[in-house]
Amino acid sequence: MSVSGDPPDPRLLACVVARELRDGEVVAFGLHAENLLRAAYVAQRLHAPNLVIRHGLRAERSAEIGPAAWTDDRASLSRGRVEYFEAHDAILDVANPGSPQRFCDVFVVGGMQIDREGSTNLIGIKGPDGRMAVRGPGSIGTTSIGTLARHVILFSPEHSARRFVERVDYVSVPGWRRRAAAGLGGGPALCVTSLAVMDFEEGRMRLRSVHPHASVEEVHGRTGFELLVPPRVPVTEPPTRAEIEALEAIAPPGPRESAGEDGA
Amino acid sequence: MSDAERAERVLGLLEAASLVHDDMVVGLSGFSYQNPPMALVRAIIRRRVKGLTIVSGPTSGIETDLLIGSGAVRRVVTAGVAFERVAAIAPAFRLAAERGTLEVWECDECIWHVALKAAAWGVPYLLWRGGVGSSLPELNPDLAEIDVEGVRCLRVPPVRPDIVFLHAAEADAYGNVRVAPEAYLGRFFAERSLALACRGPVIVSVERIVPNEEVLESPERTILKGALVVEVPWGAHPGGVSGRTVPDLDHYREYAAAAEARRKGDPVAYQRYLERHVYGLEQHEDYVRTIGIERLEPLRMAGA
Repeated sequence: MSVSGDPPDPRLLACVVARELRDGEVVAFGLHAENLLRAAYVAQRLHAPNLVIRHGLRAERSAEIGPAAWTDDRASLSRGRVEYFEAHDAILDVANPGSPQRFCDVFVVGGMQIDREGSTNLIGIKGPDGRMAVRGPGSIGTTSIGTLARHVILFSPEHSARRFVERVDYVSVPGWRRRAAAGLGGGPALCVTSLAVMDFEEGRMRLRSVHPHASVEEVHGRTGFELLVPPRVPVTEPPTRAEIEALEAIAPPGPRESAGEDGA
Repeated sequence: MSDAERAERVLGLLEAASLVHDDMVVGLSGFSYQNPPMALVRAIIRRRVKGLTIVSGPTSGIETDLLIGSGAVRRVVTAGVAFERVAAIAPAFRLAAERGTLEVWECDECIWHVALKAAAWGVPYLLWRGGVGSSLPELNPDLAEIDVEGVRCLRVPPVRPDIVFLHAAEADAYGNVRVAPEAYLGRFFAERSLALACRGPVIVSVERIVPNEEVLESPERTILKGALVVEVPWGAHPGGVSGRTVPDLDHYREYAAAAEARRKGDPVAYQRYLERHVYGLEQHEDYVRTIGIERLEPLRMAGA
């Protein structure tokens, strides 16, 4: 789902994430995240040739957008692109993120709710009586990977006060304060949305840049908590010519199924 | 070589479904759209069993939602129930959980696997570092957050299915279960995890029973041995069979629309769905006829 007003340019979001991925890292995200696949592909082409993409249960050299596993494309494009397959319980290899064979370095994750300290929630939304009023899908693969990955990037095409709340009702992936309380240290590094890029200062979300079509006021109005705002907020750098060329090298251009959003 | 004959492990769909009784803990394959044992699930629903605990996924799909929607399930052990872009939250799961008629053992995919490993290994619990600082220990009384030698861990109890149902591309008559050569997305999903944790029979429905000679030619495709085998072509429909058929997304949309209408108070379409696809049919062949082979054949993957 998209927020009202100008639809966010998915290419911009892919480029913002791509710029955060470093050479030699392993990036992981959820099954249905075409735009994050694009981001990883752009990074591989432009500055991170040794980036490994963990997509589902495989490691690949480039993006198969819309694989036959969850679209009705009958021909798989994965032949010639996938180097490694594993069984699903291999995700347990995230348990020691310091291992050379670790599951991932960077995990890109979304949520029904995201709060000011970067905790996410896919479990449910509470009603006025404090009981679960809206049942969420469940934490899927996010909790352990989000807890143990070395870097977490929050990714939310929707930027609304409904999604960005003071405090999540349930915690799927703990943010800064909850991590500290559990003896983990650190926390999410970045949050990329349809309107802006946020980072964290002392465990609180701070506006880092605003996308070209958005404004600081709009970000404020669509965030359900007091966002830290530095005196000067730059505009997010639009996709460069090289990034656009890399994006155009990926076919087909758009998601096959409608009415969804990229998430992890 | 002796003349004694090796026992085949083939049974019929109804016989397989008859092994399920009220209040059992039932493990089901099915990762998102891939490999749900739907023909077995429909046969189980026709038996009108109640009070099942379903261990599925770890990210579950229509196999779990349909069982919940038919009223057979009391509790689920899953990291999530969803249909990717068709439904971000599976509607029957959502309705039952919000009404309070369904218990959810709240976990993520890793913790789900750890719980099955604890059962497979026969230990009272395993320690796991992921999930500390999350709400999972608050939501599951048996999932404690503890300190062990200065490291905060979750103490994960075993989850042990009484019986497991899987769907796979093929098997031989002796219960060697095989993936398709073009299997992708993953080599396989949670099939082995479920089978190894199970205290009772493991039943696999397959697209095709193959001769044992084929198994001997490519043993690396065998992911599991010793299963009971049911031959059920299109037995995962509307799900896909990894490397063989793609999911029938139009069918998913039809199901999700009916389940969503029921969630919003109009049960007619969902009742009609259950009549047309489950209760009104006696066997899987009737289901294939109802869907129509002309609609099924185009779901085959190129070269599969």
